[in-house]
Amino acid sequence: MKDLLRRWLLTFLCVGGFLIGTSAAASEAPTIKYPVPPPGDYNGDVVEQPIEFPHDIHTKVNKINCLYCHTYGRRSKVAGIPPTSKCMGCHRVIATDKPRIQKLTEYWEKRQSIPWKKVHDVPDFVHFTHERHLKKFIFDNEDLVQNLSVDTVAPVCAACHGDLREMTVARKVKPMTMGWCVACHEANGGPGDCWKCHK
Amino acid sequence: MSGNELNRRGFLKLMGWSAAGAGLAGCDLPSTVTLEQGKETVLSYLSPEEYVIPGIGVWYASTCMQCAAFCGIHGRVREGHALKLEGNPDSPLNRGKLCQMGQAGIQGHYNPDRITQPLLRKDGKLTPIGWDEAWSLIGQKISNAPGERFAWVTGTVSGHQAVLLAAHTEAMGSKNHFAVEVIGPHVGRAVNQDMLGEAMPRLVLDKAKLILSLGADFLGTWVSPTHFATEYAKFRSGSRGMLVQVEPKMTLTGGNADMWVPIRPGTEGVLALAIANVLMKGGAKVPEAAIAAVSAYEPAKAAEVTGVSAERIEKIAALLKEHSPSLVLAGAPVEGHAHGYQAAAAVQLLNIMLGNVGQTIVSAGGFPFPQLAAKSGSTRDLIAFADAAKNQKLDVAFFYGANPVYSAPHFLALPEALQKIPFKVAFAQFPDETAEAADLVIPLASYLEDWGTHVAAYQPEEAGITVQQPLMERMYNDTIGFGDALLKLLKLGKSEQYAAWEDYYAYLRNAVATLPAEYKAGAANDNAFWDQTLQKGVLKVAAAAQELKPQVPEIKLPDVQPNEGYPLYLVPSTQLGLWDGRHANLPWLQEAPDQISKVVWDSWAEIHPATAAKLGIKEDDIIEIASEQGSIKVKAYLFKGVHQDVVAVPMGQGHEAYGRYAKNRGVNVLKILDPVIDAKTRELALYGTRVKLANTGKNEPLVIEGRGNNSQRGRKLVVTISADQFRKTEGA
Repeated sequence: MKDLLRRWLLTFLCVGGFLIGTSAAASEAPTIKYPVPPPGDYNGDVVEQPIEFPHDIHTKVNKINCLYCHTYGRRSKVAGIPPTSKCMGCHRVIATDKPRIQKLTEYWEKRQSIPWKKVHDVPDFVHFTHERHLKKFIFDNEDLVQNLSVDTVAPVCAACHGDLREMTVARKVKPMTMGWCVACHEANGGPGDCWKCHK
Repeated sequence: MSGNELNRRGFLKLMGWSAAGAGLAGCDLPSTVTLEQGKETVLSYLSPEEYVIPGIGVWYASTCMQCAAFCGIHGRVREGHALKLEGNPDSPLNRGKLCQMGQAGIQGHYNPDRITQPLLRKDGKLTPIGWDEAWSLIGQKISNAPGERFAWVTGTVSGHQAVLLAAHTEAMGSKNHFAVEVIGPHVGRAVNQDMLGEAMPRLVLDKAKLILSLGADFLGTWVSPTHFATEYAKFRSGSRGMLVQVEPKMTLTGGNADMWVPIRPGTEGVLALAIANVLMKGGAKVPEAAIAAVSAYEPAKAAEVTGVSAERIEKIAALLKEHSPSLVLAGAPVEGHAHGYQAAAAVQLLNIMLGNVGQTIVSAGGFPFPQLAAKSGSTRDLIAFADAAKNQKLDVAFFYGANPVYSAPHFLALPEALQKIPFKVAFAQFPDETAEAADLVIPLASYLEDWGTHVAAYQPEEAGITVQQPLMERMYNDTIGFGDALLKLLKLGKSEQYAAWEDYYAYLRNAVATLPAEYKAGAANDNAFWDQTLQKGVLKVAAAAQELKPQVPEIKLPDVQPNEGYPLYLVPSTQLGLWDGRHANLPWLQEAPDQISKVVWDSWAEIHPATAAKLGIKEDDIIEIASEQGSIKVKAYLFKGVHQDVVAVPMGQGHEAYGRYAKNRGVNVLKILDPVIDAKTRELALYGTRVKLANTGKNEPLVIEGRGNNSQRGRKLVVTISADQFRKTEGA
């Protein structure tokens, strides 16, 4: 049974990978409009996580869409850390020999949440919502929606989070200050009212 | 300056700079305002329910327990935490509204001063112990079954908790259940029972064309204020009803009245009889038993007693006659005297004479489950408990939901009396005065973490049971729900009939699911009915319609005796905020300005400017208010909304314990009450205390939100004109 599941899953991933690959090729079409990134970088700390989660393997190698795991981003103010059940959906069978996956399985079997460390945050008096930003830059972006893949979505996420396709664990690479937010709002036609963010 | 070393001033400066930067259109100033990275843990779900989305709240129905009105609430839960409370639109009591005390419930739940583990008094100090030790100690103490020497001391309890509590008291072989509540229509309930045959009839505010309220602060603190506020809105809309308020100290309701009349405390009954006298002369029929009393008070005589002019009395009577049906209410100032019952009866007499009974006062119907009905607290039980303790009639006392050590006036000598009870157990959330005096403290879950059912004493329409469910997991593992604690106690007492229930949830679920089929319309089965009940938060149970049968007892009011030594009357007023002191540990309610004086975080004394001038008192002076029972020192607030013979101090402050926000703040006015007790009901006469004032010569400014001044300083901010002048100039 387990073998069957594994074979099925691999087939699924291969076919999926092929489809994603083809759409990735299409994504290089110059028609997709991305947000104008505000100037400024930030050299954030390297944060040690309980499991060194490799974003690069998931996105760059396996071409898994950011929104597959951070699925709440399109519906909520937070993008959310995926529930452990989502990790285990694949890792019950994939890469079970790797120490990181064994650690993950250990948390799962003990029914413990993984104590991830927060890397990106804004102060409590800032009302930031992923939902609104994703709507504008992904779901209302017709050209992008037609070519939805990790390689078309990642540049949107990268505006604030940097290109996670090139990172293992997340690191803060943008200033995320008010001036920086405002610069982006001005460059991309975002609202300028104080109360939009400070409710 | 690094991000981590930012102090508040530096932070604000930077905020200013980055705002300026924004103003300079894209000028990208470097900023060091950053948040910590890698410090805070962000936990993900293991395998969440499908409807759970981080960042998006889910609302659950439950019941507010901030006062005995038991409004229905909805609580917003996000990432496993209760964040915000609102009224439950399905609750006929509050119809989606929630008062500030209800809103502040969340601060009780997250309060930093909660008790998180069982505490036992060792060498005079409360010390943490384990649960096994706590229960075995209780088991041991109650196995030497004290029978009648055991007592429960609680606040108002109802629903299935009341059932278990009664079962436990009975299992102990005792009948002692003292339900203590300082605020409430204790005397009024008795009067209603005797005169109408029902303790809590339904009031139809919106059908009344005029409400004459004698001190009933129904918009602020009387019976079910959130419910009455909605009804009042209906009363005022359409053909606008008129509100006349007569009281010794202006309340929130008084502040909304069309006519506000100050009256000498304790003479409200006389005023009611004088109005009846005018009505009688106008042809209204007076019930036989009351004729003598009504005839005795001509308006002129009543004017002398009450301080309300004869013309004013006649005017009120004329208004009542013009506006029919009307509604006459008696509040705490009427009830709070040695003749409180008689005075409240005189007020109810007006309703009977005016034909309001059956119109604006109707039967609430019988409640089909009397065992679930509210056991409303009273001050009579506070006095009875203090007596029992003083006379060494008790060996074991359990406390829950009441703080008698704080509420009891000095004359009851409760702290000393408590020392005569060898074993006192407080089931408490907070280290209040009563928990501090206990030998063992059992830490309770907050009401947002607990199961229960509640039945409000005042039912606005079809009787309802409000259901309380946990909005989130318990914050502290070593706390216990009150229902669970009761079950545990019953099991300790070897009551086998409760062995089947693993916990209170199981008990409650079974009790609700096994209700007779007539209450379960629309539910496919018992499980569906339970789910439906939890979703709604309110369980409607049809009440049998009844008719009110007015009866009038003989009414006899005593003459008011002047008191040379103590010339003023003390009014311990009530706020929709700190209430009887139970909310003094909630910073939102400390910070919320008093509805009338706008004072925050403090006690104050309201004095009429004329009285203050006579005694040489200025605003902010610290004055000493002395009764025969003791004195308090408090800052003066000069205010024309009190009778000249009155000094009013709000209840709620002056805690000696009860956590960081409540302790050592202001004064406890209840302490200096005189031992005056209503002759008929044995309730404490809250408004019966006589005091004298002295200026200490010190002063300290009161903190008043938006402190203003009654004077317009000649600037005509609000232009007024006398009625006579208006008629002359406008020809109206």
